[in-house]
Amino acid sequence: MTFRQFAFNNVKRNARQYITYFLSCMFSVTIFFMYAVLVFHPEVMETEFRESVRRSIMAAEIIIFVFSFLFVLYSNSTFVKSRKKEFGLLSTLGISRSQLNRLIMMENSLIGILSIILGLAMGAIFSKLFLLTLTNILELGDPLSYYISPLAIGITAGAYFIMFELNSIFVLFSIRTKTIMELFRGARSPKKKPKFSWILSILSLLLIGYGYYLAWTADLISIIPRMLPILALVVPGSYFLFTQLSVALTSLLQKRKSLYYKGTHLLTISDLIFKLRDNSRILFFVAILSAVAFTSSGVLFGAFYGLEEEAKKYTPNTLSFSGIGNRETVEEKARLVSQELKRNDIHYSAHYSQLVKGEIPELDGSVRFLSLSDFHIYQTMSGLEKLKLKENEAAILLFPNDHREDQVPGSLTVSIQNEEHTFAVKKVRNNAFNSRYFQSYLIVLPDQFYEAYARVSDPEQTVHLHAIEIDGWTSKTDEIQVALQEHNLRHLKVKDDIFTENRAELYTGLKQGFGISLYFGIFISVLFFLAAGSILYFRMYQDIDYDLNHYRSLYRIGLTKKEMKNIATRELSFLFFLPMLIAVLHSSFAFKALQNILSASVLLPAFIIFGGFLGVHLINFFIVRNIYVSKLKRAL
Amino acid sequence: MNVLKAENLSKIYGKRSSLQVKAIDNISLTVKKGEFIGVMGPSGSGKTTLLHLLSTIDSPTSGSVEINGKQISSMTDGKLAKFRRREMGFVFQDFNLLDTLTIEENILLPMTLDHQKIRDMEKRLMDVSRKLEIESILKKRTYEVSGGQMQRAAIARAIIHDPSIIFADEPTGNLDSRSSEQVMESFQMLHEEQEATILMVTHDPFAASFCERIVFIKDGRIYTEIYRGDNRQSFFQDILNVMSILGGNTDDFQTVRV
Repeated sequence: MTFRQFAFNNVKRNARQYITYFLSCMFSVTIFFMYAVLVFHPEVMETEFRESVRRSIMAAEIIIFVFSFLFVLYSNSTFVKSRKKEFGLLSTLGISRSQLNRLIMMENSLIGILSIILGLAMGAIFSKLFLLTLTNILELGDPLSYYISPLAIGITAGAYFIMFELNSIFVLFSIRTKTIMELFRGARSPKKKPKFSWILSILSLLLIGYGYYLAWTADLISIIPRMLPILALVVPGSYFLFTQLSVALTSLLQKRKSLYYKGTHLLTISDLIFKLRDNSRILFFVAILSAVAFTSSGVLFGAFYGLEEEAKKYTPNTLSFSGIGNRETVEEKARLVSQELKRNDIHYSAHYSQLVKGEIPELDGSVRFLSLSDFHIYQTMSGLEKLKLKENEAAILLFPNDHREDQVPGSLTVSIQNEEHTFAVKKVRNNAFNSRYFQSYLIVLPDQFYEAYARVSDPEQTVHLHAIEIDGWTSKTDEIQVALQEHNLRHLKVKDDIFTENRAELYTGLKQGFGISLYFGIFISVLFFLAAGSILYFRMYQDIDYDLNHYRSLYRIGLTKKEMKNIATRELSFLFFLPMLIAVLHSSFAFKALQNILSASVLLPAFIIFGGFLGVHLINFFIVRNIYVSKLKRAL
Repeated sequence: MNVLKAENLSKIYGKRSSLQVKAIDNISLTVKKGEFIGVMGPSGSGKTTLLHLLSTIDSPTSGSVEINGKQISSMTDGKLAKFRRREMGFVFQDFNLLDTLTIEENILLPMTLDHQKIRDMEKRLMDVSRKLEIESILKKRTYEVSGGQMQRAAIARAIIHDPSIIFADEPTGNLDSRSSEQVMESFQMLHEEQEATILMVTHDPFAASFCERIVFIKDGRIYTEIYRGDNRQSFFQDILNVMSILGGNTDDFQTVRV
């Protein structure tokens, strides 16, 4: 047996031990390669593919590589640690340090090369699907052809080969300092009683609590500066939660004798304290990874889900045309477009109104008046309740996210033919008609005053507004765009003689932009989440020998198999679901912050995201538990 | 009164007749209440297998084991485990204490698993720990105490629930001579003062000399039995004599300690 054969056989005969490590390596190669195929796709490289899309693909590729570097480093070091005893044995048999290094390097290279080859093969298969879904999401006319550039293969293979070798060297350093005897003892060094500090435990609650408070009360303006402080509070808070508070709480349970000395509780609780201590960093890491996955996919999905509402908020009417002092042009254009819509069998409602120019001393500068009955019609078109005004009341309309809210006076004076009328002011958010055209204040006046004012105002300064609301507009965005294109009404600026506001345009633009972010965001989130799951799995695998010994001892003094299964299930579910619980809590507060910004409810998207991820996690848990329990049964 | 009665026990490993190995070959054995019995024999003679069969950890190919008048072979796995923890106490060569628990918690484990009252547990704990002189280490963890102390804690765990029979598998195998003596004195005390029934497997003639009766087995069969008179010193000499007749590999036996 040559040395190389020894290394090769080691991998071949320990296949079961290597398989999880191997699979996770292969998985990251597959993902990276799929993106590389896209990046080096000729149709993406050469054509005027949207710059933002290309940038997000590149960003995703870099995140995946950095992440898989850390992930492989972690998996590799746990894997090597679980083999400490084997290395100790080899050392006593006289393996030299350099031979041991060579053995580890050879084994790792073998696994690395295998996972690169198989990962490329898997990636080649899934790329087809990946290109198809991307074509759909970007709504490209012709699908991207199935083409794998040799450059993609070369870069993936090269980058990952270097990464595997680098990782092996890192791992070699980590076992370098240890003596043979330490290696030999491996995990069997005695377990010291876990220590914790009450101060840090309470601090963790305070940090997380304050972070939650900041998220709960954030709004559109304060969320950006608060983002970093929230992270800086919650991340260390969670760290102390897992390393200190969890041990502190289980120790409290230990003090309650009636609970502790009852049946299998004694074993479960004392075991858990050690497992929590040993695994606290991993649990923390898993919780943060999952929280990031939940939050980013939830925020993206929530925003995407609320796009329709968001588009409606900023553009209450599907279409509107406005112009100053040119009633004929506005009406003519509106007529042409309406005809086009009718021809396409699209149902709509429309309303034309005039907004006259006026002066109000309480508000510097000019304002525009709208009659209450016109406003009512717009409200009905947008499916809103009618505004009620008393005889001596006027409504000032505010835009969405209007920062002028505080400057609105309590009353205003309108002079009509040298007669002054004072109105009490009602502040109303305008979600009835399109108002991006207007820079001045919009004021709704009771009809008789509006009429009186309109008679004396300058007709050259009157704004003519023709608004169209289309039933089921979301499914007719293409027809609407075509109809506008036909009459050169699509891309108009405020300074043109006619200004078009078009919700379909806004909506499809937002949808495409968010669609891409959503696709890549969820993709990466799922990646993070799967990594979190496999980290837990590795950890269990690493501990299983010790656990089996533990259970064997218990079996001999008469613990039933059923009791063992219960203890194992309880411990595993605790380790699996504690980080998830924390992640769900963290991201719930992030969703609350999102809710403060968005108008649509994020409740349903949040539930879908949680449901999806936790469902996968539950399946993961059952698989791991079954493997664990069946190993346990076989070992007894 | 018989606590344990084994009849025609055999244990055969391997399925095909050409490859079969008889680890235990037709052994019958009875243990009376209050007896302190030793099982000795060279390596590979089947003494540990016999202990496993008697203590229900392993099941025989043929033959029957009866403990306190109850047939073991008819019990299911779950029932057996419960039977073990109520009727039997175990002392192992490697102590088998859980290092996640304190000494006290280790000792209380059998009673805890049986959902007993805390007051009863504490009373029993005081009782056994005083007898075994381990009161001072109750709150310590396993890695903080010596091997002899661990083994006495294991004995305390074996007797805390007042079992019908105590099985000891090489209890002095991992101990130095001073600790061995303390542990064996503990067994003797249990035997004399508590009238505990003890079955011990050992190949340490010094430890064996504390027994009342010793059963020697060789190649899976009972070879001979010897009884102790009044003098432990002469019993020890008898044991050495049988051992040299039994032969086997003398390297198996540990250095004689007196």
